[in-house]
Amino acid sequence: MGGAEAWAVLGAAAVAAAGLWRHLSIVLSRPFRPERARPAGSPAAGVRYAFTLGMMPWAKESTRLHLLAYLRGIVFHAGIGAGLVGLVLALWTPDLPAVPRRLLAGILAAGAAAGWGGLAARVVEPGLRTLSTPDDYVAVALVSAFLTAGALASWDARWTGIYLLAGAATLVAIPFTKIRHCFYYFFSRYFFGLFYGRRGVLGGARHE
Amino acid sequence: MSEATTAALSAFEQALDRRLLAALEACARCGICTESCHYYQSTPEPAHVPAARAEKVRAVYRRSHDPIGRRFPWLVGARDLTDESLDDLVQTAFASCTLCRRCTINCPFGVDTALIMRAARGMLTAAGKAPEMLVMLADAAIARGEHAGEFREIYREIVAGLELDAQARVGDPSLRIPLDRKGADILYVGLSGAHTILPAAIIFHEAGANWTLSMFEASNYGLFLGDPAKAKAIAKRIVDEAIELGVKDVVLTECGHAYAALRWEAPGWFGGEFPFRVRNIEEVLAEYIQDGRLVLDPSANPGPVTYHDSCNLGRNGGLLEAPRVVLRAAVAEFRELDPHGKDSLCCGGGGGLVAIPEWEEIRLRAGRKKAEQVRRAGVPVVATSCENCNLQLTDLNAHYALGVKVVGLMELVVNALLRAKERQASPAGKAA
Repeated sequence: MGGAEAWAVLGAAAVAAAGLWRHLSIVLSRPFRPERARPAGSPAAGVRYAFTLGMMPWAKESTRLHLLAYLRGIVFHAGIGAGLVGLVLALWTPDLPAVPRRLLAGILAAGAAAGWGGLAARVVEPGLRTLSTPDDYVAVALVSAFLTAGALASWDARWTGIYLLAGAATLVAIPFTKIRHCFYYFFSRYFFGLFYGRRGVLGGARHE
Repeated sequence: MSEATTAALSAFEQALDRRLLAALEACARCGICTESCHYYQSTPEPAHVPAARAEKVRAVYRRSHDPIGRRFPWLVGARDLTDESLDDLVQTAFASCTLCRRCTINCPFGVDTALIMRAARGMLTAAGKAPEMLVMLADAAIARGEHAGEFREIYREIVAGLELDAQARVGDPSLRIPLDRKGADILYVGLSGAHTILPAAIIFHEAGANWTLSMFEASNYGLFLGDPAKAKAIAKRIVDEAIELGVKDVVLTECGHAYAALRWEAPGWFGGEFPFRVRNIEEVLAEYIQDGRLVLDPSANPGPVTYHDSCNLGRNGGLLEAPRVVLRAAVAEFRELDPHGKDSLCCGGGGGLVAIPEWEEIRLRAGRKKAEQVRRAGVPVVATSCENCNLQLTDLNAHYALGVKVVGLMELVVNALLRAKERQASPAGKAA
């Protein structure tokens, strides 16, 4: 796919990469204060747990209680992954065979539905509304629009231009809005696993 | 900007390491943590949602560190730190969070809200806004370390009196409570009050341990204040004493935050591992029982007994199995609370709240869910191995008319130990 939209996506990807690079440099500029106490468990096992079994919906009381919201989040994020893959495919191989195109469309549509559903929940539920900042609404709406456009483009190529522009806008927004939590998630979850693994609480037996 | 806000922001900058940065940035405000907090469970208000609590610090962070927060604060909920917002933060960080990390373990992102609240406490302490009682207790502990020589003889006399009490309880005049014993294997650190020293003395005596009693108390109010310098100064007294006596193990009494401070945090303050192990008395009891060094008769503790996991010992300290080893040996019937272990509900007394009289009503309200949980368990005895939890559960017992007895693990062990000794001493026991 050529044209201005494609260049917009490439430019936006560069902005996103530069922005995330800046965030990485911010993280690295801050001191790392590892626990120096003798470990009672395995930090590595804790980190492995944090990114695998610890993410399962049954692993936490909170996700069992908010199963629908949690699954909505999972579907939304799976949709975002598919949306980014779709963006790359739209740039380089716009003519996908029917089966993968429809599969992609399905994931994008489900992701979009989860995104709009999450936004609606943020508006309707008083607890979530209190927690939210304008950034939360803008970011979720933008990403949901991106996924919606992606789903439509997978069915009808005439939407591809809109999909690319929405993708470009989402990419630019990553480092500047709450969307960047996708980057910090890995740090937070890593530290979580390190903490509870080292203390012998999660990820394996306590050895002391 | 006032002096207080400048000091608070400076303390925040000091605290802002990679872990704190990740905790501040990763939250998506999904609200999944909401019901994990015992404050929210007891009083379902938006202010008690852990993410909402952390937002008060995030707002300040975004104002000073986020380019969008600096230019368009309304868009990302960024706010300047003011004297008024500092006053509000006192309630949030000191009165409405016990740093129990139940929200952290329940967060899909693993956001460490307790770390954020501890940073807030450090900001407030630097700004001179921390609860006076906590500051006073921390300063008193440091002063005791600085003037240890002046009260050493008085303490020796007090301990001599305790030794007589312990001898009378066991019926053995050879029982000793040693102080300053060089070459002892264990330095036992109690709290202010005989109830943490007497049972330990009996247990160590019966197990034949080579131990000595610390001159200091295990509690560390510097940790509650989020003030690493004070926390280190308080810990240093015990570290120096342990090194001077050449002990192999420092064994802390039934106190959750003391374990969190000396076992997990202090090596970081001192720049590395200590030349001795730091253990909680729970671990030592479990070891003695498993090694057969303590013979217990569980009939001394009849009736079902349940166990409340201290957040600092259990979820955040990893001591989940040791107390259960002890209870299975020391009581006739042990029943778990639901939930328990790493998922245990905070009793509401942690984070220093138990020490602050003016927040009694808040902490009793926050403990409602724990009280309901105990009532549901339908047991006459609730055991715990943390002094603050013990005090809070005792208050909850009275406030919610639970009709239970709250006891420490050591107390149960001593009961079972003495009953076993009586049995052995009886004619039937001797014949057996």
